[in-house]
Amino acid sequence: MEYLVHLGILITIYAILAISLDLVVGYTGLLSVTHAAFFGVGAYTTAILATSFEVNFFFTVLVSIALTALVGLLIGLVLSRFNDDYFALASFGFNVIVYSIFLNWQSLTRGPLGIPGIDKPSLFGFHFNSNSEFLLLSLVFLVAIYYTSHFITSSSFGRVIRAIRDDEEALQVFGYRTTYFKLTVFVIGAGMAAVAGSLFASYITFIDPSSFTLFESVFILSIIILGGLSNHRGALLGAVILILLPEILRFVGFPTDIAAQMRQVVYGLLLVVLMLYRPQGLLGRYRL
Amino acid sequence: MDILPQLIANSLIAGSIYAMVALGFNLIFSTAKFFDIGYGALAAVGAYTVFYLAKVHNFPTLVGVIAGVVVAGILGFVIEKFVYKKLRGRKASNTVMLIASLGVFTALQAVIAIFFTSQFQTLPSDLFGRGVFHIGGGVVTSVQIAIFVLALIIMSVLAWFLYKTMFGKAIRAISDDEEVARIVGIDTEKVIGRVFFIGSAIAGLAGILVGFDTGITPTMGFSLLLKGVIAAIVGGVGNVFGGVMGALLLGTVENFGIWYISGEWKDAIAFTLLIIFLIFRPQGIFNRK
Repeated sequence: MEYLVHLGILITIYAILAISLDLVVGYTGLLSVTHAAFFGVGAYTTAILATSFEVNFFFTVLVSIALTALVGLLIGLVLSRFNDDYFALASFGFNVIVYSIFLNWQSLTRGPLGIPGIDKPSLFGFHFNSNSEFLLLSLVFLVAIYYTSHFITSSSFGRVIRAIRDDEEALQVFGYRTTYFKLTVFVIGAGMAAVAGSLFASYITFIDPSSFTLFESVFILSIIILGGLSNHRGALLGAVILILLPEILRFVGFPTDIAAQMRQVVYGLLLVVLMLYRPQGLLGRYRL
Repeated sequence: MDILPQLIANSLIAGSIYAMVALGFNLIFSTAKFFDIGYGALAAVGAYTVFYLAKVHNFPTLVGVIAGVVVAGILGFVIEKFVYKKLRGRKASNTVMLIASLGVFTALQAVIAIFFTSQFQTLPSDLFGRGVFHIGGGVVTSVQIAIFVLALIIMSVLAWFLYKTMFGKAIRAISDDEEVARIVGIDTEKVIGRVFFIGSAIAGLAGILVGFDTGITPTMGFSLLLKGVIAAIVGGVGNVFGGVMGALLLGTVENFGIWYISGEWKDAIAFTLLIIFLIFRPQGIFNRK
């Protein structure tokens, strides 16, 4: 039971990441491979505030959203100059740069040693210590993120970003500043990823740079590509499948380190097969 | 050992490796026209073939090297046949190709780790010896000299090949305009298949040489690929020899950079160079458009 709750928490955290990345990739058509960087900035903000300054978790979430949105704005400003493949490649670059900062700014992040002893959340004297309580908390955050994105994508703003994705030039002709719209979505996506980061840091209670590599970004990307782009339910479905899949591999009886590599093989082949036979994913409304 | 000659020597050696990777990458990009991430894993495939033959089965190292280059080439060719060619047939966008190649890369790298563990390994050192040379105040090993010489040889052979043979002309025709190339009777699919073989073989050789120099891990292909791609973009993507200049620039900036800052920032320095170029000169050093 405890194990299922643990998987449930992981699924909610990755669902938040997937939904937020889908806003950028699925709805706006920007192939961003730097989401793990925002996930990491959010996680580190919570970790540092909680361990060094003993700030309450819920307050650290607000700070990490703000800080990550700011980082997202800076990165987005540079990325807004690129299109298509070059956008993807430059976003790759930012993930590597942010990862290097986590690894090398030792006075702040303790580098490869990581930050241990992050507090579990507490609110008005109530402590979310057990896993099932934490699952409840992360579900609340997931629901909030889900409906926020739903609100964003079904508003007039959402129609504009989808239109930019489908034909940016036409929108420019109609007088829309498409760059501003793309930048706004990118910043919102970064802020939402920060929420997942805060939850992750507080749940695992220990973070180190290895959780925020480029491969993590690729993993989040494969979630939404499998689930289907431009569909919140697709992002949820993708997160459920890709979190549970490696657990099944473990039950089949592979040793742990081989199981970890098998996971990578499965993700890789999944991407290839999807691109070949179903580029829109399971529930997708948009084809890359 | 003086600092300046040593930094210059290190820059040249790093530049030679990056140049090889960039040459193969550009060759593939100029015909197939997408960012082939999977290409990086082929460098590791080459290096691990040498490891498997020469260290596990005690074949002569030279046999291992030749086999490694050929295996990398054939694998590149096979992947192109079964994945990219089909995608091209379906008129897939560049983004789809990029994601598929990302999948190829992730899967290949993990397969290597399953068979050979993700531990650091070394390749036998009998082929180039363990000589150490002092040149103008800098210290270089015989492997590093081999890297430099082989890079020069590959560049010259490729230049001759691209500009003096019919096949080279076909490659350049496809890189100018694939449709027109097909109209004048060039079998573009066949040419692209062969280009994948040649490019992947070069990647395999680069991986093997890096393996002799610094050892091998399953993830080695990734940083090689990134450096090759950065070199290619800085030099001008699709411009086969722009990549060489980009590689030398990247090697220099990296090595002088880590002397001023520190070694851990190497990758970040490389990507900063890339982003600066993408902002201010996205067409690269040599391309005009």
